[in-house]
This record gives sequence, structure tokens and C-alpha cells, in this order.
Amino acid sequence: MKRHFDIIIVHFKTEGSMEFYVTASIVLPWIAALIIYLAKNDTVTNVLSFLMLPILGYFAWEVYFSNTLPMLIETPKWVGSLITIYDFGLLGYFLYQGMKNRSILVSALAILQLALLVIVVLMIQHSDTADIYVDKLTAFMYMIVAIIGVPIAIFATKYMEFDEKGKHSFVAILIWFLGVMNFAVSVNNIEWFFALFETTTLASFVLIRFRMDKEAVNNAILALWMNQIGGVAILFALLMLIKTSGMYHFTDLLSVDPKMLSLAALGFLSLSALVKGAQMPFHKWLLGAMVAPTPVSAILHSATMVKIAPYLLLRISPIIKGTLLAKLLIITTGFVFVAAAVIALTQDNFKKILAYSTISLLGLMMLAAVVGTPIAITASLILILFHAFAKGFLFVEAGVLEKVFHVKYIKEMRRLIEKAPLTLMFIFFGFLNMTFVPFGTFIGKWLMIEEVSGFLSHGSYILLILYVGAGSAFLSVLYMKVLGISVRKSHGIEKIKLTPLPLRFNFVSVWYYAWLFALTIFIAPFISTQLVPIAGEISGGLVNIHADGLSLIINHSTLYFWQIMGALAILLLIHALPFFVHFKNVDTAMPYNCGEAFPRHIETYNFVCISKYESYIIAFSVALFIMVLVLGGGLL
Amino acid sequence: MGIFSKFRKKSPWILHYNTGGCNGCDIEILSALAPKFDIERFGMLNRGNPKQSDILLVTGPVTKRCRDVLRRLYLEMPEPKVVVAMGACAHGGGIFRDFYHVENGVDNIIPVDVWIPGCAPRVEALIDGMVEAVKIWEKKTKEKEYMRNHSEELLKKLGARDDD
Amino acid sequence: MKFETLMFLLTLFAPILGGLVYGVERIVKARMQSRVGPPLMQPFYDFFKLMDKRPLMVHSLHAVMGIMYFIACWFSLLVLFMGNDLLVAVFFHVIAVLALTIGAFSVRSSYSVIGAMRELMHMISYEPLMVLMVVAFYEVVGSFNLKDILNYQGIPLFEIPVVFIAFVLAIPMMLHKSPFDVAEAHQEIVGGPEIEYSGPFYEALYTGKWIEYIYVFFFVFLFGGSHYWLGALLVVLVFLFVNALDNASARLDFRRMVKFSWFVLIPVSALNLIFLSLWR
Repeated sequence: MKRHFDIIIVHFKTEGSMEFYVTASIVLPWIAALIIYLAKNDTVTNVLSFLMLPILGYFAWEVYFSNTLPMLIETPKWVGSLITIYDFGLLGYFLYQGMKNRSILVSALAILQLALLVIVVLMIQHSDTADIYVDKLTAFMYMIVAIIGVPIAIFATKYMEFDEKGKHSFVAILIWFLGVMNFAVSVNNIEWFFALFETTTLASFVLIRFRMDKEAVNNAILALWMNQIGGVAILFALLMLIKTSGMYHFTDLLSVDPKMLSLAALGFLSLSALVKGAQMPFHKWLLGAMVAPTPVSAILHSATMVKIAPYLLLRISPIIKGTLLAKLLIITTGFVFVAAAVIALTQDNFKKILAYSTISLLGLMMLAAVVGTPIAITASLILILFHAFAKGFLFVEAGVLEKVFHVKYIKEMRRLIEKAPLTLMFIFFGFLNMTFVPFGTFIGKWLMIEEVSGFLSHGSYILLILYVGAGSAFLSVLYMKVLGISVRKSHGIEKIKLTPLPLRFNFVSVWYYAWLFALTIFIAPFISTQLVPIAGEISGGLVNIHADGLSLIINHSTLYFWQIMGALAILLLIHALPFFVHFKNVDTAMPYNCGEAFPRHIETYNFVCISKYESYIIAFSVALFIMVLVLGGGLL
Repeated sequence: MGIFSKFRKKSPWILHYNTGGCNGCDIEILSALAPKFDIERFGMLNRGNPKQSDILLVTGPVTKRCRDVLRRLYLEMPEPKVVVAMGACAHGGGIFRDFYHVENGVDNIIPVDVWIPGCAPRVEALIDGMVEAVKIWEKKTKEKEYMRNHSEELLKKLGARDDD
Repeated sequence: MKFETLMFLLTLFAPILGGLVYGVERIVKARMQSRVGPPLMQPFYDFFKLMDKRPLMVHSLHAVMGIMYFIACWFSLLVLFMGNDLLVAVFFHVIAVLALTIGAFSVRSSYSVIGAMRELMHMISYEPLMVLMVVAFYEVVGSFNLKDILNYQGIPLFEIPVVFIAFVLAIPMMLHKSPFDVAEAHQEIVGGPEIEYSGPFYEALYTGKWIEYIYVFFFVFLFGGSHYWLGALLVVLVFLFVNALDNASARLDFRRMVKFSWFVLIPVSALNLIFLSLWR
């Protein structure tokens, strides 16, 4: 099936402005990061990081609303050589780190990667396809980076003032990383994609071990070798692609008949996506990354970096749609969706619970991307966007809790409503955004179930419905359990005191809250005008979603606007009203305890019965993983 | 309101508390819920907690350990409420009168509205007493009723004002 | 009259209908135990009595959650009757459970907290089954729309019998009846999540329960398709069966409830769905 974009190669001379915006989105954060790093001045850092928000937002806006998408941008030859040299340097740095920290895995994997990269460079043939490809999906990711990523850098400028060292280098690395992310979603050349993949691994490594204590360094090494496995997988995929068909650009792969491509290479590519998305059994690195400062968790590990995994699967989804590989991927990612939600019930560290919930929803995003029909791809895009917003929001609040209220564990969150009512209200809203009607994550799940009910004759699709139903039930239980322990309070309402929070924290929280609220009210026109064209372009089919006023219509099923408003009103009342309402003339009484007056210290359930089965769950996921690689990739 | 209180007699809910008696009266209460006597015809339900019940049915002489428990249960019931003392022990100690560990009867702790005599009273007497209690309950208003010797120190001692 | 008007009137009078259903249930339960039982209008007498009590609360967050539970239950019924999509109505019910659970978690009473956690166990048990049931309806009828299901010429009962039986066995979980009433175990935790409510706030919870009855039995009615007499007959039979099961069985603990739902009910419903989709 010929794709339509291979005839739209735009000469950059006539469309110089678009090329300028793309280059600026990539390079400007690097320049800003360099200035912040060199200046080491508070004012410069704060002002520059705040300025990135309108600047990057403007560039992303221009790219998104231009009429010349999709377009390929040619780059000069020296850029390619520069990136290859940089790649070797990066792998050498990894080898050095492995030897310095006496880690066999890191060193061995770095040597393997160097060897494979040498083979690839020797085998690679010259290709005329341009190396930068910007389409609507890329612009969508630019918008996410600008709107969700930059406020976290602003948050970090204040966060690091609560006795942390190295504020300027930290904020500089964060902003540099935003540029890397923008670059990673614009490349067309898979070899460059490998370089950027490893750069995100580098960023992860440097930021996780930022505090330089023993636990941080160990977790950084763990993240390093697990992500290197993903890099090795990409190199294998590259080798197979070059050997069998000589093509190594995304646009080339999408424009030929899928049967001519080697499925093993695609299997390896999806394996690297599974590793980057921290699916089981590679989930330990994401959990270990939670020892880093919270803005790291917010940007890298929930809002932007791990989104490269569903992004990669969205790029190759038209090729693998309907094959055995796709069906096995559905089973694997769906299983991770449920298993991560179940294991999260046993955790007691708040950030680890958020991490497990991220792993779970990443599984769902990849599931939706792999199903491949137009509505499923729309569901994947909706989930990517709203999950990025909600998780960024929640991690910002977790950072506030950690620094201002010194709360890390669930048992310290008891009676949080008396200490931090406003933060708890934000956390409540963040959790509501993850599973309940009418918010974005629910719409993604609803679209999946509606779509898949149409073709149930294959067993894996019924399994999908079971997965989605079960996973959303378990996630709801998880969030209600965490909320439940924090809203517990003693029976006087007079004792709530409001701690004043720094202005930057409040700004970032209100920014996210307002965006989520506005997007929820206008969700129907937003989806049908913004996200449907992206999905139509990726999947090449007609997307049967449109908005009737403010109601959302899919395939003859409607989510009316009065339903959305009603649910929103009820949920607003549930999470915001009790903080402000006082029943004045009503007597109060003690809770019932059979008339006794023992001191009450009530914690919460810790689900030990599940943690006994954790090793079986992980073993099963390893088995599924191997099946994806061997059977799906056609290696047998 | 006048219109609602007409329906009040149709659904009295009971909280039953035994303050240390011999359980004879309690067995009579259980058999009142059984098929032969069936007080659910009157809409009466045996609820387990004071916040949702209207009639506090007390049996047994009040032992010193149960005294504060009885007070807390009484405080947790919303008005209008009725207290029914059942059996000779609840009247003045009954067979346990003047022992070292009893207060002699319920009336020293909380105000009682209906007394049901007998040791143990028959179920017909119990039903008679409950109907009498409902008649008294119909006429009560929603203003607060207090325990015997009600004071702030007593409330603090009971733990009804503090929280930790 | 028009379909929409009928549904709107049904929703408006849902508390009254639910009260009547609850009253009938109390009489049926009493007769099964060879007692006489309260009069039919007993739930409404309870309503008036509870409105007339002096209001008492533990703290205002808890009281507000009680009222929100009632509003959320009524709204989910409105979505079921007047909305376009059955699947959305299933998910609206979770908001009601949220209100009840947060309210119950927010008091420092052991019964309330344990009851709230058990209520979440209930939700894990019946929610995936309801999603599976709605997808089964889609397989049979071809649409998620309520009007299409009510105009379907065949009989869904004969096409998805196993799903029907699984749903009937899951009704005790939704309505808090034996053997699956772990959230409101009277002898164990004296009422569970609803224990700290009193007076007008308890009335809101009580009425919310009536509305849940209508919600659940409407799904049973849908199994008759366009033959409304069959739907009504199914409702009566299931009603009697659920009450007989309630009277006759003891309470299981929550692990058995979750295992029963996950290892027995959901696999057999899934198998029924697979057979149906392969048949067509």
C-alpha cells in the first residue's frame, strides 16, 4: 500500500520558515541549557526556564498548524557524520562508566553495542531519503513537550532550593533533555534514532544518580544496562533491515508492501519499545529511578521520555497491524496493564505507586497502538496526551509533598487532609483524571472497548476486553485506597491549617489543573478536530469519530455533553466541596466503636496475599516476552 | 415538623444493650424477632449502632465497667430518643442489688421512659412496653436530652469532646 | 407515549419505584421465614422518620459524601435510561462507589474503614463482569444503544444463557446480599461503610440503595429483548431467586468472593462470548 507522503518532499528553500521552527525547537533548548550551566546564576536560570514556555509553545504551535505537513527535511552530510562520531563517543562513555563502577553487564553490553555499531556503519548503504521527517504526530509530541515538559523545569527551579545541591546543572540538564526529546520524535533515520535513544538513556543515567549517594548510583547503573538492552535490540533490527531490504528510514518502511519486510527486525524494534516503556520484566529500572529528585520522575519517567515507546509503536503500527506479532504484543502489553496495577496495590511508597501506574498505562497505550485500526490509534493518542498531563501533575504534587510536608510513604499520608488540604485536592483531581468518567483516560479505554467489540472472533481480542475491564477496576481500587488513607481526619473541622506554598509550585499546579479542566469540557471538539487528523494520517483510514456540538460520537454511540457535565459536576463536588462546606448547626458525635474509647490508629490494607505471587507474575511475563520475540518475530 | 411526626410511630428502630445481666431478658428479645412474635410487623428493626436507632433497650444491672459505655451509647443517639429498661435488674439491680460491682439500675445513669417489669418479662409484656415507648416517642420533640449529672467534666472524661 | 418521555418519567420517579421494590422485598423475605413482615409502604415510613431526626454527623466531609452517593446513583440511572450507550452507564456507577468509599474512609472508625475496603473488593468482583455482559449484548444485538436492545426481535436470553446465569450470580455482590454481602456484614462489622451516617444523611444512603435495585434489575429486564413480558417474568424470577439465596446461605469471605468471580464467572462468560462470535 503506497503511502501518500512519499511524493511530498518539500524543498527547504521555499519552506525555510518551517525548517527554522523545527531546528529551533531542537537547538534552542540546547543553547538555553548551555547558558544556564555556564552562568550559574539564580535569576538567569529562573527567567530562562520561564521563557522556554512561551517560546517552545510558539514554535510547536507554528509547526502544528502549518499546512505543509507532513514534510521531509534534508540535512547536510556533515550532520550524519557528526551523529555517528557522537554515537561512538557515547558508547565509549558507557563503557567507561561500566568499568568505573565495576559493572560487568554495562561493560559487556557497551562492547556489544560498539561491535554492532561498527558492523552497521560498515554495512550501511547510501540512501537518498531525507533524515528528518515532521508530520502531525511529531508536532503533537512537540506540543506535549512544550506544554507539559517546560512547567516541570520551572517547578524544578524552586524544588532544588529546598536544600539540594547543584540546582543550575540540574535545570540545565532538564532543558537540554527537552531538546533531545524534540529531536528524537523528528528523525526518520533509524540509525539516528538509535543515537537519540541512547542519549535519552544517558540523560536518565545522569539524572538518576544526581544525588550521588550509593543507592542512586546503583539504580542509575540498573537503568543503564536495562536500557542498553533496548539499544542492542535496535541495532539488531537495523542490521536485519539493512541486510534484507537495504532500507533504514521510517518513511521507506511505510511505503513498501509489508510482506517484503523482515518481521524479525520489527520484532526487535518492538522489543526495544517494550524495554523503554518499562514493561515487565524490565520494570525494575523505572522503579529504581524513583530515588531521583522528583522533577526527574515527572519529566523523564512519566510525561515525556517513556512516551517514546508508544511513539515508536505508532510509527510502525501500519506495518505490523494484523500480524501474529501484533497479537502477541496485545497479549503481553495487556498482561502488563493488569499485572502492574495488581502489584501496585502492595506498595507503600507514593512515588512507586505512581511509577507502577505509569507502567500500567504505558501497556495500555502500546496495546492501543498495536491494534492499529483508526479508532484504536486515536485512543492511543488520547491516552498519551492525558496520561502525560495527569502524571506530570501528580508527580509535581508528590514533589510538593516530599519537600514541604516531608511525606514519602503512604503511612505518613494518614490524615493528610488536615495538614495539606490544597495539595490533597490537587492529588484527588489527578487521580480522578486517571480512571473516571468523563476524563481523557476513560475515553481512551471506552474507545478501545467499543472498537474491539466489533471483531471478537479472535481470542486475543476478548482477552483485550477482559484486560481493559480488569485493569481499570484494579486501578480504581488502587487510587481509592491511596485517597482513602489521606482523607481520614478527626472529627473537628476547625483544625485545618493552610501552609502557604511557594508561588512557583502553585503556578505549575494551577497550570496543569486548568489545562486538564479545559480539555475535559471541550474534549469532543478537541478530539475530532485535533487528534482525528493525526490518527487518519498514521493509519490511512477514515476515523469514525466526530463531535456534535460538545458531545462525542463514535460509530453511532454517543457520549452526550450533559453526561460529561453531570459527571464533571459531581466529581468537582466530591473533590472540592468538602473542603469548603461546613454544616454549622449540626451536632457532631464520635465514631462508633461499640461505646469504647480506645485510641484509634488505623492504617490501610497492604495486600500481602498478592506479593506472594509477584515472582510468578514476573516469570509469566518473561515467558510472554520470549514468545513475542521468537514467535512474533518469526525467528523459529 | 408536624406532618413527619405522624409517621414516626411506624418505624422505630431498636438498639439493644446488655449491661451485665444473666441474658434471660436477651433471649426474650431474640424470640420477639422470631416468627411467632415478629415485631417487624411494627416496622421495628434491631440495628446494631446507636446513630441509626431510636429506642435504647437496656437490660441488666449496670455494672461499673459498663457505665461509661452506656453513657457514650446514649450520647451517640440522635434525638428524639426513648430509653426502655427491661427486667428487674434494670429497675433497681434485681437479683444483683447492692453488690460491689453494680450501680443499682439504669435510672442513675440515663433517664428512663418505660419500665418493663418481670424477671424475665414475657414477650407479650415486652411488646406491650415497646408499644408504650412508641406512644411516648411520638410526642417527643427534637431538643436535646441529657444524661444524669451531665457536665463538661463528665463529657471530657468520656472522651466525647477530645480527639487525639 | 414517546420513548424518551417514558424513560425520563421513570428516572424521575425512580426513588418511589425503588422504595416499593424494597418494600416488596422485605415482605418476601419475611414470608420466606414464615413471619408476617412489615407493611408494603414501610420504606417510606422509614424515610419520614429519618427525615425527622435531629441531624448528627461525624464531620461534614463524611456527611457530604453520603449526599453525593445518592446524587451519583440517581445520575447513573439517568444516564442508563436516557443515554445512548450502555457501556458508559456501567462506568458511571463507579462514581457512586467512589463517593461511598471516600466517605467511609474518612472517619476514624475501624468498622467504617474495613467496610470501605471490602466495598472495593466488591467492585473488583462485579465490574469486569458487567463490562463483559455489555459486550455480550453488543455481540447479540449489534449495538450498544438501549433502544436497539429493547427493539431486538430475538431473545438475548437464549443466545447468551451463560452470561445471564453469571450475572444473576453476581447480583448478590452488587446489592449486598448473602452469600456475598461482605461489605455490610452485620455481625462482623455492624454495617460497614454506612455505619456512621444518621438521620437525613442516612436517608440519602438508604434511598441510594433503592435506586441501585432499579439499576440492577433493569439489566435483567434487558435480557428479554423486545418481548417485554419475558423481561418482566425474568425480573420476578430473579428477584425471588436472589431473596431465596439470601435467606438460605451464609456469608463467604471476600477472598472467596473475588476468586469465585474471577475464576468461575468471568471465564465461563468469556467462553460463551467466544462461542457466540465463532458461531456467527
